[in-house]
Amino acid sequence: MLLDLDGITVAFGGLIAVGDVTFAMAEGDVLGLVGPNGAGKTTLFNAVSGLVRPTRGQARFLGRDLVAMPIHARARAGIGRTFQVPQPMHELTVRENLMVASRFATGRIDRERIAEILDLLKLGHKADADAATSLALTEQKALEVGKALATNPKLLMLDEVLAGLETAGKRAFMHTLAEVRQRYGLGLLIIEHDIETITRLCPRVVVLNFGRLIAEGSPDHVFNDPEVIRSYTGGEAA
Amino acid sequence: MIDLVAQSLFSGVLSGAYYALIALGLALVFGTMRVINLAHGELVLLGAYISYTAEEKLGLDPLASLPLALTLVVATAMAVYYLISLIKTDRELNSLILTFGIGVILTNAVLMIWSADIHSTTTPWYHDATILFDTLFAMQAELVFAALGIVLVGAVWWWLEKSWYGRALRAVASNRDAAKLMGVNPQLTEVLSFAVSGLLATVAGVAIYTAKVIQPSLGHHLTVKAFIITVLAGMGSVPGVLLGAVLLGVVESLTVTLASSALQELAGMVLFLVVLLLMPSGLFGRAKRRG
Repeated sequence: MLLDLDGITVAFGGLIAVGDVTFAMAEGDVLGLVGPNGAGKTTLFNAVSGLVRPTRGQARFLGRDLVAMPIHARARAGIGRTFQVPQPMHELTVRENLMVASRFATGRIDRERIAEILDLLKLGHKADADAATSLALTEQKALEVGKALATNPKLLMLDEVLAGLETAGKRAFMHTLAEVRQRYGLGLLIIEHDIETITRLCPRVVVLNFGRLIAEGSPDHVFNDPEVIRSYTGGEAA
Repeated sequence: MIDLVAQSLFSGVLSGAYYALIALGLALVFGTMRVINLAHGELVLLGAYISYTAEEKLGLDPLASLPLALTLVVATAMAVYYLISLIKTDRELNSLILTFGIGVILTNAVLMIWSADIHSTTTPWYHDATILFDTLFAMQAELVFAALGIVLVGAVWWWLEKSWYGRALRAVASNRDAAKLMGVNPQLTEVLSFAVSGLLATVAGVAIYTAKVIQPSLGHHLTVKAFIITVLAGMGSVPGVLLGAVLLGVVESLTVTLASSALQELAGMVLFLVVLLLMPSGLFGRAKRRG
């Protein structure tokens, strides 16, 4: 298994942000993670990427125990992650952002791959620009994906990477993501609110509500599940 | 009068070079750990006293004492880092208390070991006068350590800009969690920043021992100067640290020349408050970041 979560629980004091979540992904799988605001999606991302430590449960990545693994070691093991709000390295250029990721996650600077990523994400013309001040929102989102790709991940976790983009930008970015996946054969774990995006990109979807997994399956199946509809509408299913 | 002001400006620039060494060490540690090391001035002081002991007891020239001072100061800096790394919650706040305490302990250790007497090098060469452009006076020690200071600041700037570990250090300073997710081990960058900070403190300590006088209470004043310079420069700007240090050196020197030596420390504080008021990001800091 690429990622194997078993009973992952994250509690902040008395608040259960993620409760007893269990699912698995095989290598190359594309899985959508959806749910209303506050469902625990980003907290689950944080637990997998190491930013929070699960209170209970097991997490394994390619058979290795994740729970005790430091964050930088997870990146080196093959977990790449983006943030909902882009987090460029302000002191570095766009290219340097990717080079640092490549150097420290893989132990060497893969210049060919970096050039390929810059080209794929249409950042080539901004490669030597200051990452802090020179990028439009779409480019900041692209850099966020680029940094994660430069770590040579086997699993790429995308946290609302399309949020804030207009429809045309969103479609173009979806196309780019499909190309990324095809070229690098990555597993993708995607948090997204936009149903169209999830339906197009993800053959399988997991739905969280109040931290609990309430449905899992194909987009058609889960988006017609009465409990999922209730979780979004707060009322009865049609 | 013009000659006096020119001499004052020149002396300020020379002092600025070793002020820059002290401030850069403080700024590096702050950048990577968000920790203000209030014991930083005491590390400088330790370097100065080790150089004094090496000269007094072993007959070593202060420059020749650098390897010994470097070893002991960097080891002490590592011990400070280790203690800070034990803090698990509210590190930014708790480290202030911890490093303040370490500073007090180090000051008292210096007092117990070396007494409250003031010291300066007894090697005459360092105090020999050099006349530049027929009018400007400097001691050999001031010229040597000003040159060494500028070279070291330049070397650190190059290391941060061009080396991979320098870039990693900047990445951690920019965004710690995002840097970790790029595979950067933050502990390694923290150790490196403390080691470089210890190196710079050592050279500054030996510079002060040869060009000025040392006494146990000096450490605290040096930390305050380093903090003022870091704020003047704006966080994250190495050339800014050098220019901020020179500015502080010049303002202090002019104050002594044109007003009174009693107002020297106050002048630095006034400069600090004026810059904070008018330019909160410092003279060379980024005004606002996006993203």
